[in-house]
Amino acid sequence: MRRVAIIGCGQTKHGRRTDVNQAEMVSEAVWNAIDDAGIGIEDIEAFAVGNMQGFGGIAHPDLIFAEYIGAVGKPMQRVATGGTVGGSVAHLGYYMVASGMYDVVLATAWEKHSDSAEPGATTGLLHVAFANLSYMFKLGMDLRSFAIMGLAGAAAGISAYQAAQYLFRSGCKIEHYDMVAAKARRNAAKNKYAHLRWPNCKPEDIAKTEMLIWPMRFGHVCPASDGASAVIFASEDAVKKFGIKEVAWILSVAAFADEENDQGESYQGTGVLDYSEQIGCVLSAKKAYERAGIENPRKEVDMAEIYSPFPHQELMFSERLGFFDEGTAWKALEEGVTEIDGDFPITPSGGVNATNAIGSSGLQRVLECALQIMNKAEEHQVPKDVRIAVAHAWGGQTQFNTVTVLSDKPKRW
Amino acid sequence: MRVAIVGYSCLPMSRDIGLTREESVFLSTKMALESCNLTRSEIDTVVSASSDFYDGRTISNSMLIGALGAYLKDESKSEEDGLLAVIYAMQRILSGTHRIALVTAHTHSSIFNPHQISRYMLEPLFDRQNELLNDIVLSALQARTYMRKYDVSEEDMAYVAYKNLRNASKNSNSVLKVPDISVEEILASKVYAEPIRELMIAPTCDGVASVVLASEKVAYEITSDPIWIEGVGVSVGNYFRDRDLSKLESLQKAAKKAYAMAGISEPYQELDFAEITERFAHQELMIYEALGIAREGKGKNLLNNGTTWIDGEFPVNPSGGALSGDAICATGLYRLVEAIKQIRGEAENQISGVRRALVHSQWGLVAQKNVVLIVGGEV
Repeated sequence: MRRVAIIGCGQTKHGRRTDVNQAEMVSEAVWNAIDDAGIGIEDIEAFAVGNMQGFGGIAHPDLIFAEYIGAVGKPMQRVATGGTVGGSVAHLGYYMVASGMYDVVLATAWEKHSDSAEPGATTGLLHVAFANLSYMFKLGMDLRSFAIMGLAGAAAGISAYQAAQYLFRSGCKIEHYDMVAAKARRNAAKNKYAHLRWPNCKPEDIAKTEMLIWPMRFGHVCPASDGASAVIFASEDAVKKFGIKEVAWILSVAAFADEENDQGESYQGTGVLDYSEQIGCVLSAKKAYERAGIENPRKEVDMAEIYSPFPHQELMFSERLGFFDEGTAWKALEEGVTEIDGDFPITPSGGVNATNAIGSSGLQRVLECALQIMNKAEEHQVPKDVRIAVAHAWGGQTQFNTVTVLSDKPKRW
Repeated sequence: MRVAIVGYSCLPMSRDIGLTREESVFLSTKMALESCNLTRSEIDTVVSASSDFYDGRTISNSMLIGALGAYLKDESKSEEDGLLAVIYAMQRILSGTHRIALVTAHTHSSIFNPHQISRYMLEPLFDRQNELLNDIVLSALQARTYMRKYDVSEEDMAYVAYKNLRNASKNSNSVLKVPDISVEEILASKVYAEPIRELMIAPTCDGVASVVLASEKVAYEITSDPIWIEGVGVSVGNYFRDRDLSKLESLQKAAKKAYAMAGISEPYQELDFAEITERFAHQELMIYEALGIAREGKGKNLLNNGTTWIDGEFPVNPSGGALSGDAICATGLYRLVEAIKQIRGEAENQISGVRRALVHSQWGLVAQKNVVLIVGGEV
């Protein structure tokens, strides 16, 4: 098996980026990564790309801007898996190098949500939704099914059910969700690339915001950001050839899919009922640790970047990823264990709750872990020594999870 | 290490397959596993290929996990042609992490017209505002550029369709079955965008196809007749506005890579036949040239002197090619499945004594991205 390292990271300022178009935005991240690695565009052999194309209103946008990112004449592979897409792009980049097919691969993922807000020019997502509705009618599905689908309310809608289920499962309170959201915004204030930055944000500030749908407050919901991330993967030979000193090694990847969660309309009659169970995440983590040779994640892993657009997910996934026993993450939160300067920092970048440019979000988790390992996270660098970090992404109909384990040292076989 | 194809399946392509996406993907997956006597538990990883825009729903793989047999398995989705999902699955095996992979690709064009989606592939602020542009119009521009430069006639284009549709009439997977069609009828079919006529356009349809891949180590435990992936090449070209439409440069590059990996220096001599994705008739001639089996501008000669016919020296598209049915994301896999059948001697329109084939697919407007696979049976 070939050893694979991250040799360069680049991202854009995330937020409402009306100053650039999709092509300009992605190339900003790509060229930042190339500069960070200190190599040339000619050294990149292949590209791994992905976003949720409907959100930006362009089908296969990477084809339009292949030239902007220096991909013309080179291999380019695209994946898309929902919220996990950035994590899936990282895994694609890893496998492209690990396979021995390429030595240096640039992975980039992005989203430009503000584009799909413009009617007329880019009505991609609407188009996608209507097409499926016409198909449902063709199959003879009735208006009741349509109404139930509408009530599901997309990602925030499903997540509200999940947040409620997790409350009962773990015994925590809504106040703990306020604490997680406040931590995310405080951490984001130290990250110059983040979207919602709120220095000294307190749980009480979040608690004052409107209850949208129980148990989710306005202050719990992630923004719809514009932004892009890029990461360069290289083989051990390439790391030596370029003489790059600061790298983060990939120890393992795993991405176990589950069936979609049943939103009142089961297509196959087998959907998952408890959205907070997340067996796919448990299995992904278990397999990733097994592949990385980790036996006790809480002791051997130093920090994690968890994909949590909604605060209950940070608590829930930190348990599913094996960092805390089931139903105890909120206790660790109360004790400050997961703060930037805590014993087990979780999402010191502010994470997806403060910045969510869908495609970018999953890849950013991997990128942030790499920065922490290379000691390049600047203001939000955690004080403790980071040797092993875990990057997580979540998506689909709450059914997909990607787990990536990174380290300061290559894996020993 | 090498990767082998050990199983395959495809459903007959259809204008309206009469099954949901879940049902048809499940059928194809099940048939592929049965074709090599594997069970779901023996599959390590699943890579599907579908596209949110063509599927008409966001996260197009989310409802398909059960149908793919991918639940509680290491899974991902390529959002482009199925051949790229094959390459991703191959990379997963070559990394040493997985041994056996399942690849399934589908598109149900009956949901709505894929040509309409081509408008969403246009750059939105300038090109999409021009309501005249779509994939057919752009291909007409490509055809005209190519025809003017190399003195290619509409009859030459019709002749491509004629050859492929004759082959298609013997292929039970094809959508367009017109065994008695004549060149005159093709030239008299409806004009969509000068010089592109109805029978020169790949007919979009519903289709699902699957293949099972295995590492060299386990391939022989599964089958005595593995098909080896000997070479792989992928290349993306410039967006259509910024490139010379009279040639397929990205395909030249993809082919060069695949030949190098397979150790091929004389493709015409060393390959036995090819299954290619010609979304429009003229593209088949351009593809001959880009693959290096015809000299620049001389693609029509291979067609006119019978070389690429089923009984010729280098048959191309014994299945009938994309002009016999185009299930978008699955089209590359239909080409691959035909190549496997030909090499194993299981094809309906069988060429005798073939061992090594080139499989091609394309993605994007006017063939912007190209993929080439070299596959071969035992030496």
